[in-house]
Amino acid sequence: MSFLRLEGLVKRYGDFTAVDNVELSVEKGEFVSLLGPSGCGKTTTLQMIAGFEVPTQGRVIIDGKDMTDVKASQRGIGIVFQSYALFPHMPVAANVSFGLEMRKVSKEERKRRVMQTLELVHLQDFAQRFPRELSGGQRQRVALARALVIEPEVLLLDEPLSALDAKIREDMQIELRSIQQKVGTTTILVTHDQSEAMSMSDRVAVMNEGRLVQVGAPYDAYEFPEDLFVSNFLGKTNLLEGKVTARNGGEVKVRIGEAELEARDVDGSIDGRVNVSVRPEKLHLTTPQDGALQGRVLTRIFLGNHWVYQVQSPIGRLLVTQQNTGQDSAREGEEVGISWSVDGIRVLAAEADHG
Amino acid sequence: MAEISARRRLLPPYLLSAPALLLYLGLFMAPLAMTLMLSFNSFDFYKGILPGFSFVNYLEVVTDEYFHEVFLRTFGISLAVTVLCALLGTPEAYILHRMRNPWKSLFMLAILGPLLISVVVRTLGWALLIGDSGVLNDALIGAGLIDEPIRLIFTTTGVIIALVHVLIPFMVLSVWASLQKLDPAVEQAGLSLGASQFTVLRRIVVPQVMPGVLSGSLIVFALTASAFATPAILGGRRLKVVATTAYDEYLNTLNWPLGAAIAVLLLIANVIIIATYNKVIEKKYAQAFQ
Ligand SMILES: Nc1ncnc2c1ncn2[C@@H]1O[C@H](COP(=O)(O)OP(=O)(O)OP(=O)(O)O)[C@@H](O)[C@H]1O
Ligand SMILES: [Mg+2]
Repeated sequence: MSFLRLEGLVKRYGDFTAVDNVELSVEKGEFVSLLGPSGCGKTTTLQMIAGFEVPTQGRVIIDGKDMTDVKASQRGIGIVFQSYALFPHMPVAANVSFGLEMRKVSKEERKRRVMQTLELVHLQDFAQRFPRELSGGQRQRVALARALVIEPEVLLLDEPLSALDAKIREDMQIELRSIQQKVGTTTILVTHDQSEAMSMSDRVAVMNEGRLVQVGAPYDAYEFPEDLFVSNFLGKTNLLEGKVTARNGGEVKVRIGEAELEARDVDGSIDGRVNVSVRPEKLHLTTPQDGALQGRVLTRIFLGNHWVYQVQSPIGRLLVTQQNTGQDSAREGEEVGISWSVDGIRVLAAEADHG
Repeated sequence: MAEISARRRLLPPYLLSAPALLLYLGLFMAPLAMTLMLSFNSFDFYKGILPGFSFVNYLEVVTDEYFHEVFLRTFGISLAVTVLCALLGTPEAYILHRMRNPWKSLFMLAILGPLLISVVVRTLGWALLIGDSGVLNDALIGAGLIDEPIRLIFTTTGVIIALVHVLIPFMVLSVWASLQKLDPAVEQAGLSLGASQFTVLRRIVVPQVMPGVLSGSLIVFALTASAFATPAILGGRRLKVVATTAYDEYLNTLNWPLGAAIAVLLLIANVIIIATYNKVIEKKYAQAFQ
């Protein structure tokens, strides 16, 4: 049985449903990201797990125990807040030590564990500093140390990295993940940054308008989105409207504008009006003769390791990314061909069906 | 050239603040200076105020047991009122802070509303409440809880109760201002680490609003030490504080120089106490707050 289970969690504020029937099972030691756009209910879900919000319906179960009515202070959950929420009037060591004090841990033991945890986050030399004397990244690590020192069964992180700038954020992502793997705490991370969710977690749970729309490993969710929202939210994609015109076993032909594409349809569930999603990196630029479609480059942007093109084609404007291989790339206004492999094409039902 | 333009640039700020400065000089500094000068004159019962420069009035205040008592009483009352305002006002501000609208606005109004009413009127209200045959005593006797009326009016206790009521809004406002700066997630962090609600209050909230409590205490202390209307009405003829004593010297004895000396001493004592307090506090909190 899973370690942490959310059973039919609902949170209503008056008429407004912030969280709608969320079902989620998390294994012990697993790292799951709750991913979704702003206002979709991620924080509310986290607050219900933490015990700061009372669910309108549903249960929170940790290690087989029903925690729904247990006070926040009795749940033993470690939390890292978006604002860090460090105690500004206490030095770093006292901040980290607070949770142990509440657990009546002896003074020597406390000292030992505080230093041990500060070493884990590489802050052993900052024990006597006050929070305001630290950088954003250091504060973030104090917050993490404070949450981890109580050896919580569950660690909740609410957008812990969103206040950091890009470079430190990447470093912290790697560090956070490696610390989590070292201590093996079951972790739920809330974020609206899809690359953060995908790079750090074992599974991502994509949320939209209070509902969980897809839960799966980052690769699966990215490659096999179950609906339009997921395919659009996870990474960039070209979304095209089309119609299924022919079927041949596991393959369908889809007409988009004047062109026809082939796509796979393993379970035979696709028919009628559909949406086709093609990731920019699944498209390749070729010479006009070699391409399955012809088009003209509208703009191109150089991003160091790759180029991003906007190409006008018979099926609409397409985003195409190409590795920077050091060879001369297509220029604006140039006629090009576009090719792809049939495996790179996803066909989704036209109207996202939430069941 | 550069000098002239620099002077030109300096002039407008002075000109602009001149009206306020003049008002301040005329209405505050001048009377203060005159009071100070007056305090060095002497007084004769038959001849009235005698110009001159002497410390007789100060000497009288410093050596007379009666004045010692008055000064000690004043600072005793100030201390008691300050401590009570801090003890009552801090939780009051916190409860207000945690309330939701419309209750929040309603209670805010209830707390700040009295500031709109004259202190004299409010104090007379207290006199009606706590008098020997006032509402409180009548009710208690009527309920059979006591036989004799509890003596509150014309006692230190009565004065303290009324002053706490008059001055608590200043404490609430001051603490409220620091509570506004508190990150609500900090309290949640405390709870999630296993602290009870009370421990969170004691260890996390109170230390963070301490600067507000302390600045509120300064205001309350200074206002109590120089309070006049409440002690005058509720203290009666015998329970004198410094402000009412100075008033007596001015208007009953007509010994203006002695009254002035008392007023000046009160000012000096107040300034010394507040400055020392500030120093100590600053030292204590310099680390955590800036
Ligand atoms: N106390 C409340 N009363 C009414 N509505 C609320 C309350 N708290 C949250 N909401 C609403 O619930 C929805 C979900 O809020 P939540 O904070 O969970 O969003 P989120 O997914 O964390 O967004 P973000 O990424 O911006 O932090 C929002 O539309 C919000 O307006
Ligand atoms: Mg949020």
